[in-house]
Parts: sequence; C-alpha cells; structure tokens
Amino acid sequence: MDRRAAFFAIAAVVCAAVSPATETEIRWIPIAMAVGYAVLSVLSFLDAWSRHHDHNN
Amino acid sequence: MESVALWFVVLVALGFDFVNGFHDAANSIATVVSTRVLSPRLAVMWAAFFNFAAFLVFGTAVASTIAKDVVVQDVLSIGVIFAGLTGAIVWNLITFFLALPSSSSHALIGGMAGAAVAKGGFDVLISSGVGKIAVFIVLAPLLGLLLGFSLMVLMMWASHKYQKVERLNRFFRRGQLLSAAAYSLGHGGNDAQKTMGVILALLIAQGEVGPNAEVPLWVVLAAHSAIALGTLSGGWRFVKTMGSKLTRLQPAGGMAAETAAAITLFFVSARGIPVSTTHTITGAIVGTGSANRISAVRWEMARRVVWAWILTIPGAALVSAVTYGIVSAF
Repeated sequence: MDRRAAFFAIAAVVCAAVSPATETEIRWIPIAMAVGYAVLSVLSFLDAWSRHHDHNN
Repeated sequence: MESVALWFVVLVALGFDFVNGFHDAANSIATVVSTRVLSPRLAVMWAAFFNFAAFLVFGTAVASTIAKDVVVQDVLSIGVIFAGLTGAIVWNLITFFLALPSSSSHALIGGMAGAAVAKGGFDVLISSGVGKIAVFIVLAPLLGLLLGFSLMVLMMWASHKYQKVERLNRFFRRGQLLSAAAYSLGHGGNDAQKTMGVILALLIAQGEVGPNAEVPLWVVLAAHSAIALGTLSGGWRFVKTMGSKLTRLQPAGGMAAETAAAITLFFVSARGIPVSTTHTITGAIVGTGSANRISAVRWEMARRVVWAWILTIPGAALVSAVTYGIVSAF
C-alpha cells in the first residue's frame, strides 16, 4: 500500500478513536477529521495506483 | 516572607514565558527565514510584535483552563507551582540543548500535574480538564497536518496552469508575511495564556484574588511582554529543524503551513484549549510537504519530533515531582 495512503488511514482511525473522549459540543471536529483523512487515504491510494499503472504501461 | 515567595514565583513564571518565546521563536519564523522572505533579524521582530499584539485579539479562556481545570485548587501552593515551573524549564533546557522541538506547553502541563500529584496523589487531577487537553495533544497536530495538506493541494490546483512562476512566487512570499503574522498571533494567544493561567492559579492559591476571578490586566500584559521579549532573543537552533530538516519548503508551502497552523490555534484558543504550538506547526509543515510527495518529508526527523512529543509530559512531570520533594523538605 502507498505510504501516504497508509498514513492517512492511520490518522483517520486515530481521529475516530479519540472522538468519544471529546466534549459533545466539539465532537464533530474529530469526526470530520476522520472523514477527511479517510477520503484523502482513498484519493492517495488511487493516485499512487494510477501512477504505478501508467508507469507499467 | 510569603509575599516575597509569591513575587519570586511570578517572576519564575514570566521567566518560563520568556524561555517559551525563546524556545518557540524558530517555529514562528522558520518558514519565513528558510524561504528567504525575511532576514532572521526582521523575522523575529515581526513575530515578537504579533506575539505581543495577541492580547488584543484573544480572551483568557486558555488561562482559565490552566488555572482551574487541570488540578484541584486546594492542592495548589507556592511550592507546587514553583516545582511545576522548574520541571517545565529544566525539561525545555534539556530539549533545547538536544535540538529537539519538544513542546513548552506539554512541559508546563506535565510539570504542574507532576508536582500536584507528588503532593496530593492522582486524585488531584481533574479528569475532564486533563482529558480535554489530552485529546487535543493528539488532534492539534493532526488538524494542522490535514489543513496544511488541503491548503497546499488547493494552492497547487489553483495555480498549476499559471505560467508566470516568478510572479506567483512573489505573491506567495508576500502572503507569507501575513501567514507568519497570523501564526505569531495564534502562538502568542495560546502560549502567553498558559503563563497567565499559572500566575492566576498562584494568585488564587495565595488568596490575592477570588477563586472565580478573571486574569488581572497586569498579568495579561506581563505575560505577552515576556513571550514577545523571548521571541526577540530567540534561539536559532530550531530554525534548521523546523524549516528544512522536516521538509524543504518553498514560499507557497510556508504560507500554507503557517495559515493551517494559525487556523488551528485560533480555533483552540477560542475554545480555551491549551495546545502545543510547536506540534501544530510541525503537523502543518509535514502536511504541506506530503502534498508534494510523501518522500519530501524527512521521516527520521519527524520521528524524533514524535519521540519528544511522547517523552515531554512524563519527563517534565518527573523533574517537577523530584523538585517538589526537595522544596517540601525545607
């Protein structure tokens, strides 16, 4: 797996994990961050995959 | 005698604030210096001015959290606060000489908690306040990283078809002046308030002000002056670490990193959450670096930053607990 995608995936898990410990009023922040990191992880994976694919062709 | 001790510890707290500015000066100016937007001398003056001006922008919510939400007020005494400050200062000096960009804020919180626990056991910690701080120890650098990465991608996307590279660079270099100012405001706002919180706790413990008192104006002005003076005399040792050892920044990257860190610091300061300004800008720099390519980030250096992050609270707490043991013996 692409290193950047893996890093973002771990960051998404960390943000999701700390969200229950966050004050209710601002719990949306770690949740939004987890979603953001998850999206970036998928995009990074696709970016790396397409580069690899282009390179092989 | 008590009042001499009180003023002595107030001076030590302001000394910590000065060292904080000195220690963190490079965070404020590393990107503008490494991208050659300002000379080091002008950069520190720019950062120090906005460190001081921060008192006009931010309230005292962070100070209140430090004074009232970390340890129960009954345990606070001159000895505990002195030991807490000593632990934080000693830890900052150790990491300064090792050129590790550790957090002065975590050192302060670890120091206060360590000294208080040495006096009254773990029950003196206020779980809601400590929990809020602990959550943002993790979230603040990740938020800086996410914003830094997103801003950098946005800027690259918006400017990728623009042919006049020189003009574009000039725009980003000028933009960096604003982003550095915003970051220095955020730095002054969050970090100076931690010292205000310590002094407020001390004044409450000694009965100089009531338990629900706001931070007196002289404390606000003294704390901002101390951090600004510290920044003015700031150490250069970290400039290399933050500005070039983590990743090599261009003006656009510097602007994105500082803006991302400033947004994070403005938000947490408004919510009364003390965070590490060092780790926030570190996350933002790593974020902008990894927007180019992941190999642009020097992960070995980032790993050293993470180790400093993990060790700071227990390290400062241990030094403070030992200091409290010595102080209470007299």
